[in-house]
Amino acid sequence: MKQYIIRRLLQMIPTLIGISIIIFTLSAIIPGDFITAQDNPNMTAERAAQLRAIYGLDKPNYERYFTWAGNMIQGNFGDSLMHKKPVTDVIGTYVWNSFLIAIFSLIISWTLAIFVGIFSAKFQYSLFDKLVTLLVFLLMSLPSFFIGLLLIKVLALDLGWFPVGGMSSAGFKGTTFQYYMDVLEHSILPITVLTMLSIGSLSRYFRTSMLEVIRQDYIRTARAKGLSERVVIFKHAFRNAMLPAITLLGFELPGLFGGAMILEQIFAWPGIGKVYLGSINMRDYPFMLGFTIFLAALTLIGNFIADLLYGLADPRIRLK
Amino acid sequence: MFKKWSLVLSLVLAVSLLVSACSGNNNGNNAPAANTGTNQEAGTEQTEAPAEAVEGGIGLIKASDPSKNQQIALDRTDTLIVGMTEPQGLFNPIFGQTVYDRYVYEIVFDSLVEYGLDASIENSLADSVTVSEDGLTYTYKIKEGVTYSDGTPVKASDYLFVMKLLHDPAYDGPSDIHSAHIVGGQEYYDGKSDTISGINIISDTEFSVTVSEYNALTPMSLGGVYLLPEHYYGAGYKHGDLQSIKALLDKPLGSGQYILTDYKPGQEVVFVANENYFKGAPKVPNLIYKVTSSVTDIAMLQSGETDMNDFTISADNVETLVELGYLDVNVHLNNGYGYVAFNMENPKFSDKKVRQALTYGLNRADVVEGIYGPYAEVINIPQSKESWSATTEGINTYDFDTEKAKALLDEAGWVVGSDGIREKDGVKLEINFSATADNPVIDALIPIMTLNYEELGVKLIAETLEFNAIMEKKDRGDYEMFFAAWGLTPDPDNTIFITGGAQNDFGYSNPRVDELMAAGKKEIDIEKRKPIYHEMYQLINDDAPFIFLYQRTNGTASNARVDNLIYSPYKYFSASLYQTTLQQ
Repeated sequence: MKQYIIRRLLQMIPTLIGISIIIFTLSAIIPGDFITAQDNPNMTAERAAQLRAIYGLDKPNYERYFTWAGNMIQGNFGDSLMHKKPVTDVIGTYVWNSFLIAIFSLIISWTLAIFVGIFSAKFQYSLFDKLVTLLVFLLMSLPSFFIGLLLIKVLALDLGWFPVGGMSSAGFKGTTFQYYMDVLEHSILPITVLTMLSIGSLSRYFRTSMLEVIRQDYIRTARAKGLSERVVIFKHAFRNAMLPAITLLGFELPGLFGGAMILEQIFAWPGIGKVYLGSINMRDYPFMLGFTIFLAALTLIGNFIADLLYGLADPRIRLK
Repeated sequence: MFKKWSLVLSLVLAVSLLVSACSGNNNGNNAPAANTGTNQEAGTEQTEAPAEAVEGGIGLIKASDPSKNQQIALDRTDTLIVGMTEPQGLFNPIFGQTVYDRYVYEIVFDSLVEYGLDASIENSLADSVTVSEDGLTYTYKIKEGVTYSDGTPVKASDYLFVMKLLHDPAYDGPSDIHSAHIVGGQEYYDGKSDTISGINIISDTEFSVTVSEYNALTPMSLGGVYLLPEHYYGAGYKHGDLQSIKALLDKPLGSGQYILTDYKPGQEVVFVANENYFKGAPKVPNLIYKVTSSVTDIAMLQSGETDMNDFTISADNVETLVELGYLDVNVHLNNGYGYVAFNMENPKFSDKKVRQALTYGLNRADVVEGIYGPYAEVINIPQSKESWSATTEGINTYDFDTEKAKALLDEAGWVVGSDGIREKDGVKLEINFSATADNPVIDALIPIMTLNYEELGVKLIAETLEFNAIMEKKDRGDYEMFFAAWGLTPDPDNTIFITGGAQNDFGYSNPRVDELMAAGKKEIDIEKRKPIYHEMYQLINDDAPFIFLYQRTNGTASNARVDNLIYSPYKYFSASLYQTTLQQ
């Protein structure tokens, strides 16, 4: 087992190197750089050249890659050109705000989706199944900005139940606990939208997985030996139906830290997604590359953890 | 000096376009949206001149029924909340890049001189400014007794300190001090000297600056500098290393109206009034800049959570805000213009007659109406009509006239071929138009343009590209026609229309325009500058290097309880916030 873990970790190294080459190449190919993106009508050619020299943009691409990659290995992501501070600081400032809504939404959407999936499978083609299917497809097909606007209009403006946007009340003064409650209140709408978006595909996934399992012979055997339906479904069927979900959970890891660009924009939520999109538009290479690598690493780690958990959960594929 | 904005604005616009499909926003420019900074006199005041706007026009619409105001806003008697797109946290006048950062540093710091509402230069920290006979030496006297918010006095040596930072080889902010030609500046940049010889400290509150050459921008390049306290910022500074300055970006300390007390990135910036402000203590004790999005900006004004916010101009938005009754809605001209550029190096467009024909042949009024409704105007020169340098005299308005366009094309030798497309020397008049993706302007422009030009016998082929891709094509000269927008600086001087100018990627060249641009830059007296620029705009108007499309508007809405918000295209509301009052 230990050997397997070490081997997998070592395998990540060439993968990451490959990823870094690809994203660096892509960033070098796309037109424009931080200086042209400013589109400053008064910038003189001399000043533009000075700036490029400061940022190292005047060097050939391969040299830039090795400088960048060399620094990355030492944990130095460089300074964001837009924010004028270390990329890691910028990530640290915004990423937890994104994490907050992502983790809540993950927990809620998985819990709901599991129950919806099980019951839709158990009572396949029942009225419940049909209604849920309709609702789920409705939510899946609506774009996030539409649901977001609708919720703001109805719940925040017309009914006044929730704040319109932002993460806390302007100039909030109060105890730490009150502050957390304030943030929670602000986060309900974004969490709701995020949950609505992901619940659709998740519940369909669990439904299918469950349907497959309850047709298996061992389920018939379990029923035949007189077990109650509750035990059959939740103990025997459920555990097996959940196995593929572990892989899915592994893929959620980068999503927790990746931010939700459109959603953050709608609710003026100070998340990392907005910052990331901004860095791409402004060609803020250090941030853009640094954050992409960060997400790539999380994806690899998520995958790795999923594989480990898979082995733990399913004795049939336990690793030697 | 600080005339370069636009940075994150274009980004913000791009982001807002993502959601605009639904919210009905249409803010078309990917190009620079705002420019600030510098200029002489001009412009009309906007808040102060309550030109009652007729339904759907430009001007101020006062709140019709303030009694409908939200309780939450009325209860906030000692606090003003201004909603805005998020600042980047670059709260230092030498680094601030977006207009939102400027809103912050402008109230925390002060410059020696500043622009008034009409873009005339007024003293701020400076008590007096004396210019030597030869125009090369400026002597500044700082007002007596002015202190930074930590109680230490503002000193002449702080000016030298800021100038050192600006001349530092590691400086990567938006200012370009080298264009001011301060004596000894280059030596400091090169590291040959540890001071700037042209800056002479006479006493604690008096100093002089010498330049090797002057132009119309010199008074502002030198005096528009904001003073930073050297004792606070200078602690870890060495030539070639600005890290210690950057570390203080979100902890600014200056002499300004307000003191920054808290900054939550992406959320809010909180200030308290500086009771000792040298122009008088601000009337509103607490001030908060709250981050809003293109979706929440109007909603938060409506709910009373914010007192003021800019909004995207559209008939729907204006109507919504006006109908609420407790908001003052101001529609004011944006200092910039949208244009369609020709590649004049391309033989198709090298003939002035062709460019004029394509201008006549396009129904610009229709296009502008289609994009902005009544909230934009067709323009014919590359200057805001509010600028002192603008003129309408001798300016051809190129009213839509298909027949005239056809005649001009005939004259230029482009005759209609067998397939209805004009041709000359075997070349067909087909135009490749590089269009920005997801741009409402393009959505309105392309159909009308295609139809209008078809009638002329010109075939338009549109390709859609990302904004940065078009800008790169522009730099390489690899295009035929594209749409973009320029932000304008208060001063009319620019490098777009001079032969070989840094921003002239269009191949435009007119020796007389070059002469006039140089003469205008060298002249200090504004009255003498006017006729120079008037003639220049007449020439440019006739040469038609661009199809000038529109000057659009910006919208600002504020709660009826807020009085004395003072701003113009040349001066932001933030500069006069200390005068702003709240109705109790």
